[in-house]
Amino acid sequence: MDVYEVFRQEREGEPMRHAGNVLAPDRELATHYAREFYSRRQESIRLWVVPRAAIEQVDDPDLLQPPLDRSFKKPTGYVIKDKLDAARVRGGLP
Amino acid sequence: MMSPEFEVRGARMKTGTPRTPNPEPRTALAELLLTLADDEFVLGFWDSEWTGIAPMLEEDVAFSSLAQDEIGHARVLYEILAELTHDTADHIAYGRQPEEYRHARLLDHSRTDWAFSIARRFLYDTADATRLTVLANSSYAPLAGIVGKIRREETYHRMHMEAWVKRLAEAGGEAHQRLSVALETLWPDALTIFTPFDGEEELLNAGILPEPLMAIQQRWLGEIASFLQPLGLPFPFREAGGGRYTPTFPITMDSGRIRHSDDFRWLWNEFTMVYRAEPGAEW
Amino acid sequence: MTEQERLDAFNAHVASGGKVEPGDWMPDEYRKAVLKFVEMHANSELMGVLPEREWIMRAPSLKRKLALTAKVQDEVGHAQLLYRVAEDLGKSREAMVDDLLAGKTKFHNVFHYPTKTWADVGVIAWLVDAAAIVAQQALRESSYAPYARTMKKICWEESVHIIHGRDVLLSLLNGTATQRAMVQEALDRWWGPLMQMHGPPTDPTKDRDLAWRIKNKSNDNLRQEFLGIYVPRIRELGLTLPDPELRYDEASGRWLFTEPDWKELYAVVTGHGPMSQQRLAFRQMNYAATQWVRDAMLATPRVAA
Repeated sequence: MDVYEVFRQEREGEPMRHAGNVLAPDRELATHYAREFYSRRQESIRLWVVPRAAIEQVDDPDLLQPPLDRSFKKPTGYVIKDKLDAARVRGGLP
Repeated sequence: MMSPEFEVRGARMKTGTPRTPNPEPRTALAELLLTLADDEFVLGFWDSEWTGIAPMLEEDVAFSSLAQDEIGHARVLYEILAELTHDTADHIAYGRQPEEYRHARLLDHSRTDWAFSIARRFLYDTADATRLTVLANSSYAPLAGIVGKIRREETYHRMHMEAWVKRLAEAGGEAHQRLSVALETLWPDALTIFTPFDGEEELLNAGILPEPLMAIQQRWLGEIASFLQPLGLPFPFREAGGGRYTPTFPITMDSGRIRHSDDFRWLWNEFTMVYRAEPGAEW
Repeated sequence: MTEQERLDAFNAHVASGGKVEPGDWMPDEYRKAVLKFVEMHANSELMGVLPEREWIMRAPSLKRKLALTAKVQDEVGHAQLLYRVAEDLGKSREAMVDDLLAGKTKFHNVFHYPTKTWADVGVIAWLVDAAAIVAQQALRESSYAPYARTMKKICWEESVHIIHGRDVLLSLLNGTATQRAMVQEALDRWWGPLMQMHGPPTDPTKDRDLAWRIKNKSNDNLRQEFLGIYVPRIRELGLTLPDPELRYDEASGRWLFTEPDWKELYAVVTGHGPMSQQRLAFRQMNYAATQWVRDAMLATPRVAA
């Protein structure tokens, strides 16, 4: 028996989101059980069923949340209010 | 607020009150910070040139992140130095003449081809990792603090470079050949990362540099020998007993961080072009 | 269900705002139309890297260096996201790059022009990206779901480019006379291409991309939207726009302007722009020089001696 992770889409156009997992003896039955556990109340319009063994996990904070400043990649890294006011004044507008 | 030069741990322990390190270690400290920062700055510039033209889009994004990290590390190191010398990080980074930069000769070459860029980055990242491990114990608190953060970011650099060196080596053929040629070319210059400099003695005495550069170099060589040799890649050293490695090529480390190449002068001309256009202007 | 019924059902589905996923049945014409649209978008991101890339090595401060490198990196990242969407529609990345380099497929007009000063970095990041984001925001509602989802991510990432560009220009405008003059000179050069960027007005009844909701707004409406937001923001800085006819008409609620030069647009996007051939040749050269790396990636690893 293998574990299969199940992703579901709730409404058209939405991304697939992780729903949970099922235990099954093969890929075919895994899809049947995914249907039972993640859409028997018609709560999904699409399912992805992926062997857990196929998943690579990345959770090292040094990789995902490196410690040094990266504010230049975020809108909040630019505070333009004072510059904008100064430029408006120099631009000759009230 | 205390300025960072008062935070040298050794000095505080002796007197119980913060004091400025004596003049020599301070000059030597500035020199050490400059070499560390310039290494990162110049490598970051060369590698950022791959942004937009790397062999594949996925790698383009990955390699650009590495380049940005190096510039980010240079920035924080220049900031520490700027506090010490009452300057600004940007002025130190952009306001010098080419011969005033103190990066290792390894970083004097242009990015050349992909194998060359990978080989250089592998040598640099591994050497830097060993150097940072030592500097994390520096008695100069601002440096030890920032090195802790830089080391965390270098984790990915090493992972990524090891993956590439392995892949190119194992692909065989042209890839292995190009990588080997690049490593052969770069080995002598890679040693200049650890070129001893005036004032090293004072830094050792003050605990700012916890270990001599040549000792760090030996540790680094020991660490990567077992990675390169099974891949059939050049490791031109012989073991001289006691785990010491001596190069099988003539070494010229004396001017390793002083005299720079035409490649670097081209780079300097590029990166200071806008900066020099309007002296003193904000950009 | 007959073929016609199936087609009618599909058309009704997308016309009512329905979405299409890669594994769903779709008419071949729809698939081809989405592919063409996304491929050109991907090409534009890829070629759009080059004009700004020249300034990565010249960025004049540590912060600008970081911001510009990260910005160009984002554009490469967008090219990758879009080529992935296109690849799943049945055309390989190699084939798309080959067609781009051979001049068989197009990329946006603005990326056929030279960058001459540091102010161009600001104008591109602020205004070219702003004009692009107006179009891309509308594409978040595209009927092709993977494209729409990709647009959400891209728009989120682009928002920082615009503020970075505006910040670059504001610094120049608050600087020396030479720096101020750089901004006006760059704006004068870029305004024509910016006005052409969304393309000439099309007949909505004949625009199949609109009928299938691959896109949801007409070229002309996108241009109006861009002018509505950005003309006031440009003018408040004391900058002038090089079009004496440009003004907002209260009566019609629309911006009036000198008709953009559609002949120039056509010439430029068919490879006759000032930098078209140089940029393609540069990309060709780098692509060829790194072919061995892509070959090595596909090689079966052998155990080293």
